[in-house]
Amino acid sequence: MKKKRIAFFDFACCEGCQLSVLQLDEKLLDLLDHVEVAAWREVMTGESDQYDVAFCEGSITRETDIHRIQNIRQTADIVVSLGSCASIGCHNALKNRWPTKKALEIVYGEQAKHFDSIPARPITAVVDVDYQVLGCPVSLTEFEAVFKCILTGQAYDPPNEPVCVECKRNDYLCVFEKGQICLGPVTRCGCNAICTAFGEPCHGCRGLLDQPNLEAAATVLTADHLHKIMDAVAHQYQLTREEVLDKFSLYNNWPELTFEEDDTHDT
Amino acid sequence: MPETAMNAGQVSGFYMPELAKVYRTCRKETDIIIEAGMHSGRPLGHMPGQFVQVSVFGYGEVPISICSSPTRTPDRFELCVRPVGGVTKALYNKNSEDWIGIRGPFGRGFPVDLTKGKDILVVAGGIGIAPLRSLINYIMDKREEYGRLIIVYGAKTPDLILFTSDIEQWENQPDAEVYLTVDEADNSWNGRTGVVTLPIREIEIDPARTAAMVVGPPVMYRFVAMELLKKDMDPDNIFFSLERHFKCGIGKCGHCQLNDLYVCHDGPTFRYSDLLARTEAIEAWAPEKDQD
Amino acid sequence: MQSFVLSSEQLNVLFETLMAKMPMMGPKQRSDQPGFYHFDWLKSPGELVLHYTTTTIPPKKAFFPPVETMFSFKLGDPPELTHIIEDTPFVLAGVHPCDLAAIKALDDAYSVPPADKRWLANRRRAIIIGSDCLPDEYCFCTSMNTADARLPCDLFLTPIDRGWLCEVHTDAGKNVLKNIQKDTAQKKDIEDASQWRLQKAEKISTKLNINFEAFAKILEAGGLTPIWKEIADRCYSCGSCNTTCPTCFCFNKYDEFDTTLTSGIRKRVWDSCQLPEFAMVAGEHNFRGERWERVKHRWHRKFLYLFRQFKRPYCTGCGRCSRACTADINMADVINQLAAASEKERSHA
Repeated sequence: MKKKRIAFFDFACCEGCQLSVLQLDEKLLDLLDHVEVAAWREVMTGESDQYDVAFCEGSITRETDIHRIQNIRQTADIVVSLGSCASIGCHNALKNRWPTKKALEIVYGEQAKHFDSIPARPITAVVDVDYQVLGCPVSLTEFEAVFKCILTGQAYDPPNEPVCVECKRNDYLCVFEKGQICLGPVTRCGCNAICTAFGEPCHGCRGLLDQPNLEAAATVLTADHLHKIMDAVAHQYQLTREEVLDKFSLYNNWPELTFEEDDTHDT
Repeated sequence: MPETAMNAGQVSGFYMPELAKVYRTCRKETDIIIEAGMHSGRPLGHMPGQFVQVSVFGYGEVPISICSSPTRTPDRFELCVRPVGGVTKALYNKNSEDWIGIRGPFGRGFPVDLTKGKDILVVAGGIGIAPLRSLINYIMDKREEYGRLIIVYGAKTPDLILFTSDIEQWENQPDAEVYLTVDEADNSWNGRTGVVTLPIREIEIDPARTAAMVVGPPVMYRFVAMELLKKDMDPDNIFFSLERHFKCGIGKCGHCQLNDLYVCHDGPTFRYSDLLARTEAIEAWAPEKDQD
Repeated sequence: MQSFVLSSEQLNVLFETLMAKMPMMGPKQRSDQPGFYHFDWLKSPGELVLHYTTTTIPPKKAFFPPVETMFSFKLGDPPELTHIIEDTPFVLAGVHPCDLAAIKALDDAYSVPPADKRWLANRRRAIIIGSDCLPDEYCFCTSMNTADARLPCDLFLTPIDRGWLCEVHTDAGKNVLKNIQKDTAQKKDIEDASQWRLQKAEKISTKLNINFEAFAKILEAGGLTPIWKEIADRCYSCGSCNTTCPTCFCFNKYDEFDTTLTSGIRKRVWDSCQLPEFAMVAGEHNFRGERWERVKHRWHRKFLYLFRQFKRPYCTGCGRCSRACTADINMADVINQLAAASEKERSHA
């Protein structure tokens, strides 16, 4: 069987997902045995525009991005959104809470007019993607799983289970016990609870579940219904609704929290 | 990690599949029929209405009901698979000489002994025909032990009708009555059109000596039950075979729990009378569900 | 039943002797968070902490790990399957009475034919040493008849003035003590232990206001939908109540290729009936698609279905689920709430 040709592309992002993939080390070499690499800026020079599988990271923030991702979609048999910027919008969509023009002014001041910008959106909002790898950066176990699914012709659905499931299966201490606010109960798992593994709360980088009980989160995390444990630890857990929203909006601005405005940008 | 070899007799409680070889496949656009036999040569030893857990290694394991009758090919069995999920799609791509894993057979099949001497009304919707084909051919091979055999089978469209050569045989039997219907007809179709309950309305039965065996999508059961009750059938004589996503097949994993019952172990065939008081039996939107 | 007295040093010798022969799992302090404990394989007897309150994950993980490999496969003609199960004996130490009761409950559930042989095989490997506990604010074992559960432990330890009262419950337990220096228990030692248990029971403030049979009848009668919905409003469906429960035994399984794509493994993992897709079948049809249906199912399964089948509720009052629930859905509170609602209903009728 002919080897699939793979390529990596980046849009607005830190390229951390591509770098993370390199941390698979020897496993990556084993995986790459099954494919040919056509383009991968982080690891090689030169690129080919002949590829079957396109791993695309980053968000769409300019008109030109839209054309570029559409071209990739036309060339590739399989498009993979790599990481949360590409899959759910991630931090890039934070700017969507302001009108684009205002956001540009805040960042670039007088130079704002030189920049082409539209409200940030994930690649998944512009083209259909065949696979999604979530996480900021991507979860390596999920990348590996998706990679194998591509090679064996299997579909991959990001798990619709909260981070709590993996956190408990790993027997980590619930960070609420230490009085920290964790978005684990409403965040999609697949990361093997890597943050709580190190005693850190989940910030929700893999996006919300299909049916997150956000009403419960609002009630539980604000003063209305404090858990006895949190009550016992400190008052810092009694957040205001705005503070709760801030916690959620770090990664989950698209599309609910996007400022409503005309999609066309000022020229 | 210490590893120990294991023989076929020990497998079920350890969730170890036995190897089975694919002998023949019949692939159509929407489904595949796989004929397989156990590598050990042991007969599967199933009864109509039972299911097996089928493994495609690397893809997973799913429950599939057995669609062949044990009366015909004791050392072989057939599975009818529609490619909808990961494992069933992998099964759809299987060819002869390929390998699969089998655990089972599991579950309680249709009450073929209990209903001896009775008229049998078979109602199949969609892929529900698969386990019922096993039952129909079983009855065909023991024809003198049963009364009338009435087969009602509804498919969504003509090209989704399964087991067409079997159906032809059944239609040619003088002592079988076959009602075939499709929800949506096309130009090729000159048979009945409409849902499966319409032909049931036409059929005259003797409710006291009839047993109904029903398999179909979750939404079908309620409507079929209503029609059969209108014909004065006793809920004790109506048998539903239910589908759940069994993971273990032996009443442990909890996925198939229907109120206090495990569908894999206590079923999948149930008397309708046993399901009446159970809210999780038939469909998600049943009105009584809101009253728990 | 025989009882002995072991000094702390003698007990340490016992653990050292055992650990020289086989691995031992027991409660130890979490390295990242002092004051919190978890069951884990011990590197030395010194790591074992017998005075602990509770752990996030119950000791059932010794017999039914949260994630385990059931077999490996190698594709070929024919494929090769290799069954994977541990067969070395081990010690499970520091198991509280409620968790002993839970292991017994799982023994029963998993040995109903056709038995789960993975559980049984792992159970046969283990020597279980129970120990008496320090309750936390979520415990309600005194309402669940598990405060003094002993089955299926081999030895059971209770702190007393002279060290530890060691009850011998099985021949295996007797064997373990064979060459260990010990004293015969005196009347005073037995009284000491009773005193400890009395104090423990007094510390438990959470109580059920209803007996199991009456509660099962309330669930059976139904009509509680408004309460289930009210609870579900603040339920995340995160599954932590199940994944921390010592008597939950549902699981899922999946296959994983290794990087060769020609061999791999099948794993089984703990599952939770509270997760939205637990009762989903083909065609996206979900038999418990609503959050409140899943909440209701949890109480029905533990206090009605399994209660009727095994004559004991599948809850030991360990309080882990209440502790783990960040939405503060408390097992005992909900039972009392349902009992009160049903009482009110009856007095109105």
